Amino acid sequence: MSAMLLNKEKWPEFVGKLTGKKVWAPQADSEGMRFALLAEGEAPVPDYNNTRVPPKGVLFPQTETMLKFQVKATEVDEPELDQETVVLGLRPCDARAMAIVEKLFKWDIDDPYFIKRRDMVTLVGLACNDPGLNCFCPSVGGSPASTEGLDLLMVDLGENYLLEAVTGKGEALLKEMGDLLSEAGADEAKEKEKLVKEAEGKIKRTVDTEGVPEGLPGLWEDPLWGKVSASCLGCGTCTYLCPTCHCFDIQDEVEGFDARRCRTWDSCMFGEYTLHTSGHNPRPTRKERTRNRINHKYSYYVDKFDVIACVGCGRCSNLCPVNIDIIDTIRQVKEAL
Amino acid sequence: MKMDLEQLRKTAAEVVARDDVKYLVGWKQGTYGYRVAPGFVEDAAGAAELIFSPLCTANLATYLTLVEELPIPRGQEPDDRKVAVMVKGCDSRAVTQLIVEKGIKKDEVVVIGCPCPGVVDPNLLAEKYPETEDQVEMKWNGEGFLLLRGGEETKIARDEVLAEKCRLCRYPNPVYSDIMLGDPVEPWETDEDKGVEEVEGKDVEERAEYWAEQFDKCVRCYSCRNVCPLCYCQDCVLDRLNPTWVNRAVNFSENTAFNIARAFHLGGRCIECGECERVCPANIPLGKINRKLAREVRDKYGFEPGVDPDAEPFQASFKPDDPEEFIL
Repeated sequence: MSAMLLNKEKWPEFVGKLTGKKVWAPQADSEGMRFALLAEGEAPVPDYNNTRVPPKGVLFPQTETMLKFQVKATEVDEPELDQETVVLGLRPCDARAMAIVEKLFKWDIDDPYFIKRRDMVTLVGLACNDPGLNCFCPSVGGSPASTEGLDLLMVDLGENYLLEAVTGKGEALLKEMGDLLSEAGADEAKEKEKLVKEAEGKIKRTVDTEGVPEGLPGLWEDPLWGKVSASCLGCGTCTYLCPTCHCFDIQDEVEGFDARRCRTWDSCMFGEYTLHTSGHNPRPTRKERTRNRINHKYSYYVDKFDVIACVGCGRCSNLCPVNIDIIDTIRQVKEAL
Repeated sequence: MKMDLEQLRKTAAEVVARDDVKYLVGWKQGTYGYRVAPGFVEDAAGAAELIFSPLCTANLATYLTLVEELPIPRGQEPDDRKVAVMVKGCDSRAVTQLIVEKGIKKDEVVVIGCPCPGVVDPNLLAEKYPETEDQVEMKWNGEGFLLLRGGEETKIARDEVLAEKCRLCRYPNPVYSDIMLGDPVEPWETDEDKGVEEVEGKDVEERAEYWAEQFDKCVRCYSCRNVCPLCYCQDCVLDRLNPTWVNRAVNFSENTAFNIARAFHLGGRCIECGECERVCPANIPLGKINRKLAREVRDKYGFEPGVDPDAEPFQASFKPDDPEEFIL
């Protein structure tokens, strides 16, 4: 299907046609912008920089109830995951992160929760016309208009959105919209190209990853880790707000006689992360934990899945309370190579 | 502001050169924009990078208790040298409170006090003067601030970008220090309970709704706990798995349990440095909770934490005339 145009005035109708599906969209609250489920009749126009918390929770919720049970009973309830879902207006980096993380969840065993959700979701991306200060997606294989992981890409052309289907799901969604859309021409394609180029030009910060994945293991005992982690508080900001961080923990939680087995986000920056029952901790201080975070993204993941597990969204640099800036960390790694 | 950077760096270099000092924690230029990073200084070269400016929001006293100590290998002696730390007025209250609680001992630290005319709220600043990748310099300038970026100077009125905690600050001059840098600043008029009254003014249901909305945003990254100079339990109740006092599940109930637990543990201990609120990625107004409890303790028990290093810790002291009207 060729590219389509949607007049922004018709946005509420576009969203309205998604009735019956769960629709996630960026919404303003006292936190700033965050992805939340749209209530019936709501259709805020997606106009934002990155949300503070990435939309990774749509596929990998911070708390996933795997099953519910009752103390002293034998019945088990498994949650149903088969509701069709649409994510509207996610940024290309966040979608790319989902594609990257998917490799892990489809690796040694298929993760039923992630895969089911991934099957049920249509990801409608919004290209970045105005990247943020710490965006560096082109340095790690992305672009402000990357379609990787997306089903459909929207580009804000001012009055209209240009809609380009990337997958069959995206095409199906465009078909559902029927005469809300009109066909885009060569002018719009040109306009898009111009905007993407401009957006790329606005990205000021870069990292040079050449030689980093292969070189990192050799820096195991390098003093740089002590320097980088000296000020680390050991909080979960960088990992919880990272669209590619995917570590989880599984706990049985009991409230009265009701209990659930749930999977929750975990953070390699926490002291009890992979703490052994014996009391031994393989990463006893923040130095080893910081080293792990960088190695996991820029070396182990590349080794295993041939892609850097960092999409350059800039959240960890933006929100680290003590200015541990991944762009600067990779620069230091390069220097130490 | 008469803070002389030369004097600061010279003092820092002298301190780190001392045989009894391990390292010094101060502020240094961050990696971009308005960012300032904690700097761990061990020599004169490191001392030459230190700064003190309206962008130095972080309370470095937290690094006095954040040290992770590994078992000392056989045959090695523990390094008992002191840690030096640079503090603003509010930060010095954290040091004082740590001394009161015996979290640290006076002779384990060298406290370098920096009188502080108030720091900026980086978010407010970025809203009005967009942050760029270029590093900037910022100075106190008479009643306001001066922003120096790319050869350009911008004067900014104090009220425009002053951090909330500084609007409410009653202790701009360090209350405890071993070395004081520069001249004391004149304290300013404050409305110390601002924000608390706004919440108190709501009825119970409105208040519950307000906090429900706030705690619902919490992602439980624990940055508020970790940045807090007075949250330094080696074995935090939140990390306990057996028994699990607070579940790992992120939902309103657990988030509320966590936030209430933290607030109560800080009652009569929080020194209002505002770090929890600054670092919260979900923008939860944690200062309002802590100031509310601080006010309760002040009104009922006449106690203010972190102002007298020889005080008795509030939660560990008993006076026969303490009010007990909450005991049924």
